[in-house]
Amino acid sequence: MPDPRQLAELLLAADSGDQSAWDELEARFGPRMWAVARACGLNEPDAADAVQGAWLRLLEHLHDIREPAGVGAWLATTTRREALLLIRKSRSAPAPFEVAHDPDPESAVLEADGNRLLWKTVSALKEPCRSLLTLVASDLGSRQVAVRLGLPIGSVGPTRARCLEKLRTLISLQETVQ
Amino acid sequence: MIDDEYFLAALRLASGHDPIPAHVSAAARQAFALRVPHAVTACPAGYNAARGVRGAESPQTVRFVTDALTFDLEVTVGDGLIDVAGQVCPPPGEGCHVDIRTLHLTLTRRLASTGQFAATGLPPGWLSVVCHRPGHAPVQTSWVRVRP
Repeated sequence: MPDPRQLAELLLAADSGDQSAWDELEARFGPRMWAVARACGLNEPDAADAVQGAWLRLLEHLHDIREPAGVGAWLATTTRREALLLIRKSRSAPAPFEVAHDPDPESAVLEADGNRLLWKTVSALKEPCRSLLTLVASDLGSRQVAVRLGLPIGSVGPTRARCLEKLRTLISLQETVQ
Repeated sequence: MIDDEYFLAALRLASGHDPIPAHVSAAARQAFALRVPHAVTACPAGYNAARGVRGAESPQTVRFVTDALTFDLEVTVGDGLIDVAGQVCPPPGEGCHVDIRTLHLTLTRRLASTGQFAATGLPPGWLSVVCHRPGHAPVQTSWVRVRP
């Protein structure tokens, strides 16, 4: 978990015009924002658009981020909402405006400690979940996942959902125990 | 299932298979140049596509408000470029101007006494307008995405 004071300092410095502080925020949180946008199913240009949108929102809110320690989660949530707006918009209707004010609790899984826990838990899952989630993380499409695991293509989506549900349950249990 | 994306994102992040492209990082860093010190942000308060009309030429109207000012922007996308016609209410008076900003191009327009302004030929993508009034903090609209 990043040092909250350091994040508070970075936000304060960026709000005062310090480009290097902004660059450090980007270096720290840009990769996970990209991962969120891509996990929403966006192609590269749209993912870039969603990530940029989230940074522009941070520019607007630099001076009023309520919890500096949560800025990573806030950026992840904002990226996800920008991504979902893009998806909704491409399906026709004009999008209503939405700005993330509070981070989704689930975005905490993107923190570094959560990442380690996540992979430890994935490797403890039974097949086909262990392989399926590893393949999904490698950006393989449903058809390739189906071929590699010997599953009917129609069952990849439901199986993935069940595996993610198991993962979520196991992580909740571990968090309860800790 | 709304939180599956975070799990998938964490898995993708840890796999290192799809790192953030350098140009995406660079664009995020360059966005800092668009910061307007001490600006008040006008939040979106309404959004309308032209009634009954669909297509690239239909204008979209967006309203942004603060306690002091209201921005009405009419955005038209044609030939891959954006035209913006806007009005600031109440009209701020003499000596005021607006910056109509996209990520790579900013156009400045002096405000008419009616508070109206217009700009044409902007690239599609993220758009924001900043109103500068002597003696007041600048007021910027929230960024809005405009696409063909």
